[in-house]
Amino acid sequence: MRTNILLAGVGGQGVITLGMIISQAAMEQGEKVLMSEIHGLAQRGGSVTVDVRIGDFHAPIIPDGEVDITIGMEPLETKRALARASMGSRVVMSTEKMVPVSLSIRHEEYPDLQDIVSSISGNFRLRTIDAVSIAENLGNYKAANIALLGFALGTGWLPISVDSVRRQIEKTFSKKALEINMKALEEGLERGRSAQVETMEH
Amino acid sequence: MSAYQGLLNGKPGEKMFLLGNEAIARGVLEAGVAVATTYPGTPSSEVGDVLYEISEKAGLKFEFSVNEKVAMESAFAASLSGLKSFVFMKHVGLNVASDVLMSISYTGVRGPMVIMTADDPSMFSSQNEQDNRHYGHFAHVPVIEPSNPQEAKDFLKVAFEISEMEGLPVIFRTTTRISHMRGSVTLSTIEPPNQNGLFPKDGRSFVSLPSNAYHFKEELLSKMGRLGKTDFSGTLNRTEGDRSSRIGFISSGEAYNVLMDVLNKHQVNVEVLKLGITNPIPDAIVKDFLSRHGNVIIVEEVDPIIESDVRAIADLGFPEVSIHGKMDGLIPMSHETSPNTLESSLSKVLGYEIKAGDLYRSKEELPPRPPVLCPGCPHRATYFAVKRAVKMLKIEDPIYSSDIGCYSLGNYEPFSEADIMLDMGSSIGVGSGFTKATDQRIISFIGDSTFFHAGIPALVNAVNNNSRMLVVIMDNDVTAMTGRQPNPGTPIALTTGRSRNLSIENIVKSLGIENVKTVDPYNLKDTLGAIMDGLRADGVSVVVARRECAILRDNRMRKEGEEVKYHVIPEKCSSCFNCVENFACPALSVSNGKVTIDPVLCDGCGVCSQPYVCPFRAIEVTTNEN
Ligand code: SF4
Ligand code: SF4
Repeated sequence: MRTNILLAGVGGQGVITLGMIISQAAMEQGEKVLMSEIHGLAQRGGSVTVDVRIGDFHAPIIPDGEVDITIGMEPLETKRALARASMGSRVVMSTEKMVPVSLSIRHEEYPDLQDIVSSISGNFRLRTIDAVSIAENLGNYKAANIALLGFALGTGWLPISVDSVRRQIEKTFSKKALEINMKALEEGLERGRSAQVETMEH
Repeated sequence: MSAYQGLLNGKPGEKMFLLGNEAIARGVLEAGVAVATTYPGTPSSEVGDVLYEISEKAGLKFEFSVNEKVAMESAFAASLSGLKSFVFMKHVGLNVASDVLMSISYTGVRGPMVIMTADDPSMFSSQNEQDNRHYGHFAHVPVIEPSNPQEAKDFLKVAFEISEMEGLPVIFRTTTRISHMRGSVTLSTIEPPNQNGLFPKDGRSFVSLPSNAYHFKEELLSKMGRLGKTDFSGTLNRTEGDRSSRIGFISSGEAYNVLMDVLNKHQVNVEVLKLGITNPIPDAIVKDFLSRHGNVIIVEEVDPIIESDVRAIADLGFPEVSIHGKMDGLIPMSHETSPNTLESSLSKVLGYEIKAGDLYRSKEELPPRPPVLCPGCPHRATYFAVKRAVKMLKIEDPIYSSDIGCYSLGNYEPFSEADIMLDMGSSIGVGSGFTKATDQRIISFIGDSTFFHAGIPALVNAVNNNSRMLVVIMDNDVTAMTGRQPNPGTPIALTTGRSRNLSIENIVKSLGIENVKTVDPYNLKDTLGAIMDGLRADGVSVVVARRECAILRDNRMRKEGEEVKYHVIPEKCSSCFNCVENFACPALSVSNGKVTIDPVLCDGCGVCSQPYVCPFRAIEVTTNEN
């Protein structure tokens, strides 16, 4: 099995943690895994992408056009990352926006979410979820990455089992954070199972 | 914090999912290194983060040195005392330490010594993509190149063996992709370090006076000559694929990974010689390889270094073999080996077709998200105050001379307070140089760590030469950009207590600089006043803008169970947009024509609530009642 997973978001959103959990879950299933993270100039707030490659690869970077599934924590960053994906490939995206400073400086507003969604869904198999609200309702917005992971698993588009993901989450978090992240995973899963391609999920 | 404890506790045979740099840190333990030194720099920093945390338990002496030159000198001293030493840095750090390297290759080492350089092809976080394998040829020292985390750990041990064998320092070269790639690593046994150092007076000289150096050089060349005859098959070098293929490839490092993926994707079965030691080039293996293939293609990052050596070998003995690579334009000279570029470079020679990709090429321009200073970052407030001061004093054409650190981001809008930025400490050296050439006002920005690293000699020079300039030392307690490592100015409370906290002000005052002020950048009024005073003064004036890095502050406040947030009162917001336009904290944005603060991002620094940023006092601290 060979799967190339591209994760995109903004520094501070837990994109690297997401990559670690997916990678180690796949490793636990006996797969060969490579992950690549780029630490740019900013500690927080810049674009972040993480490449996860499951299967017999040597290089940690996914060639342009060979991404099987893109997991986006933020709409603009998802769309930016999709320049590396082939049209028709799979995308799961969290819809919570983070306004880049480049817009705010000019008093410009974030592009209309619906426009982003329809331009992506016109070219890809997109499923969306408001992962941040789910996490916030559970008491910690930081669990949004895990809610999104649950959602991606629920769609059946990821080649890893829910159980191995659960075990990785147990290793990653403790106490209260573990409880919230587990709930986030379950809720994401639930939504992912019923999500339809190309619709907004609320 | 015990994030890296597992690296120390992991049992032989156990598999861990490690970052290249974490694997190297484990390799340091497995090799039995006694002394490790560094100055942090991306992409090498995590090695130091691990060793700093576990060194005491591992029985290893670890030092965050003031700069790379001193780090290498420290490690060299350990080696002269018979100990195993390891010094590591980012590629440009080796420029700083090169003065040491060029001499210790001549003197040789006693205990084995390995120098790790983490190069940055494509410049993800650096000012250039220099290929430090050149230092191998330049200094006549061996160069080892791993391709993945497992090799990074295992090759390190071999590097120490080579150093021990020939008494030479060995360069261990990674790149961003290797240092920041994660993969499965099988652990081996940890060797407890020998810490009984002794500098024996055995008549062997390490004094590089010309009379000695003259002989050192000949010895050095004979050591390297011997090494070139060792083939390291099975440890560092190997061949794979069809030995009778018309075309053969020679490759190393990450370039090898990309090459293998391209070959596998197109099911091309050719022989590949993978080199783990690229200086000296293993003569016999290369000759053997050239004798088997009419065409040899070299794939490497970044400069054609293996290629030059292979071409030289071919010229002397294999004129019929045609060599291809970067020098004949088959493969681009710049940047890392991209899988798509390599795939198309090789498609004609290997005779496969690339299926036209149906990449998503959206025509609309997406708003960029360049790297930014964090919400609550003290540097933002300092840059805001300096800009305001320059405006209030009506200074035309000031020259902003910047330096290496998070504050380099002051280059971006809305501050644009970086006209020049080169290398560690250059803000003051270049700034003071300008005072000889122009009457424009000079403002140099330098961080605490960079000040200690290379700013002090430049400041001495500026004072000594009567330059008129303002030096703003942006002191946030730590080396923030590389992950908040301690430096000589770091308060003891934030360190493991093994170091001392030096006073920047005392150093500055000891040079005879009279105009020295320390301010808290969160207090814009004070900061503005101090900067205006500094700009009015003659000679060198210094403002120390001191406030902990916002991430440190976050961590501290979380521990104390405190959470402060600010919000905008819509009725008071006049939509003047001064805050977003001129202060540009990432937590501030415009929505429905009004400014709002994202409570998730807001760090509670409160700077935006001050009238310089919000003249209408529309930003207030959030209390329970709101
Ligand atoms: S890491 Fe610290 S110093 Fe760097 S931008 Fe963030 S707050 Fe500022
Ligand atoms: S208080 Fe204001 S300047 Fe400080 S982090 Fe919050 S929004 Fe940004």
